[in-house]
Amino acid sequence: MLEIRAARKVFYRGQPDEKIALNGLDLTLKTGEFGVVIGSNGAGKSSMLNAISGSLSLDSGQILINGDDITALPVHKRATRIARVFQDPMLGTAASMTVAENMLLAELRSTRRTLRHGLNARRLADYRERLAILGLGLEDRLNTRVDLLSGGQRQSLSLIMAVGGSPDLLLLDEHTAALDPRTADIVMEATVRAVEALKLTTLMVTHNMQHAVDYGHRVIMLNAGRVHLEIGGEEKANVTVPDLIGHFATKTDSMLLAS
Amino acid sequence: MIDFLQTTLTSFVALIPVTLAQSLILGFVVAGIMIPFRMLSFPDLTSEGAFPLGGCVCGVALASGLGPLTAIGLALLTGFVAGCCTAFIHLRFRIHTLLAGILVMTMLYSVNLRIMGRSNLSVFGTETIFDWVPFVQPGFPLAKIIAVGVITLAIFLALNFFFTTEKGTAVRAVGANPVMAEAQGINVWAATIGGIGLAGAFSAFSGALMVQSQGFADVNMGLGILINGLAALMIGEAIVGKATVWRQLLAPFAGAMVYYQLVSLCLAAGMPPPDLKLATGAFVLLMLALPTLRATRGRQAATPRESFRE
Repeated sequence: MLEIRAARKVFYRGQPDEKIALNGLDLTLKTGEFGVVIGSNGAGKSSMLNAISGSLSLDSGQILINGDDITALPVHKRATRIARVFQDPMLGTAASMTVAENMLLAELRSTRRTLRHGLNARRLADYRERLAILGLGLEDRLNTRVDLLSGGQRQSLSLIMAVGGSPDLLLLDEHTAALDPRTADIVMEATVRAVEALKLTTLMVTHNMQHAVDYGHRVIMLNAGRVHLEIGGEEKANVTVPDLIGHFATKTDSMLLAS
Repeated sequence: MIDFLQTTLTSFVALIPVTLAQSLILGFVVAGIMIPFRMLSFPDLTSEGAFPLGGCVCGVALASGLGPLTAIGLALLTGFVAGCCTAFIHLRFRIHTLLAGILVMTMLYSVNLRIMGRSNLSVFGTETIFDWVPFVQPGFPLAKIIAVGVITLAIFLALNFFFTTEKGTAVRAVGANPVMAEAQGINVWAATIGGIGLAGAFSAFSGALMVQSQGFADVNMGLGILINGLAALMIGEAIVGKATVWRQLLAPFAGAMVYYQLVSLCLAAGMPPPDLKLATGAFVLLMLALPTLRATRGRQAATPRESFRE
């Protein structure tokens, strides 16, 4: 379970370009729930995600995972409980290392790293099996450097790395935005399958209204650093893309998204 | 012409053992340059100060009657601290890696002078680790080659083991992509400080061995060591490659051996020593520029520019 309590973050405080990124944001995501976050640019989506992952420290407020206060923990300590897929395929993987080494790094996310040999036969067999699920042939390219893979393959690898070890919270930061439509669908389908199979508590940021309609248990719309609207349950099942677009605060955003 | 070739060859061959002993010793400083540069994407200049630091500490320790091993131990420790300082300055104050290295290197010059109390110190005649090599006459190049050769092999194997362990893989991830490493639960600070510290220890180790080998310590013994080390690394990578962990780790040691023989050949052929730095610098420049040169000529697609932490 993820709880965000009265999170507040102001950039450039006291300067002319002061910007309130998070303005007393409250959000609760129950264990096993799949929340989809939408909102216009500058609504606070990225700030919220960064605050949860730890790369952005809050001015005030609290973040709890399964009841434990993690507000003061650095990124690498939170990583034992939180997995993240970045928007940029380059960011989520170590390019100069092999597919297998990347998988190893992800596997060790929540454990203590020892001085034992990393890539043993058992692990390699396990990685082969887990990558085969994607159907991209990555299982036969364990020793390939990741920078030789396509963006879609890298993002798929990132996803498999993130869902491995069943993290307490999975953060998806517009993780299909940088991909072509077909690859985006493949990655999205793989995401949904993994999230459902493992019953992961998931928070996905997206600009794709169709994804927001199709996936997840609840749509959370942010505006000006706080939750503007939540649609869940029955209502979520019946919501349509025009409905969502209609809720966007400013006219320009609605028009842009409708076109 | 024949005469020239003959004298060049005779003096080169005569110098091979001495040069080999020297290059084995300097292999560690090349390793101390390679680890930050390649494993951590942290171009580090500390070695230019850590190498004489190790030498000065070792010299003073020997002169004050400490054993050769204790002297080396102290050198390792101070070198480690010097490396940690550079990494900390970069991480804490967000100062560019190169500038952090220059700062530490410059400050170390004064530190080295303070440690020795003068600009050079003779430790000729004190016991060294080379005296312990059995079956050979101490003081001759063969004793040094055997002693340092064994240490090099042991350290190469140890490094090769470490960088494929779970911890070692995590350290390499920090160099490959710090943002990703952090998101995978790796403490970027600890890995960077530890890694750069290790590199500093290697440079200092090299300096300490050099002092025991040549019988004196000098604050200026590090002058130009960085560019020489880089040249050696480039040669090593050109010969053994850098595609896998063991190749990347072998490159500095192999490169040092080849590079110093080349230098010796140049000197034997009558190249004036003052020109050596210009030649070395031009060589390193050429090696670094090669991928771009190839790309602009259109022979192959541009290779991705190497990214370093700033």
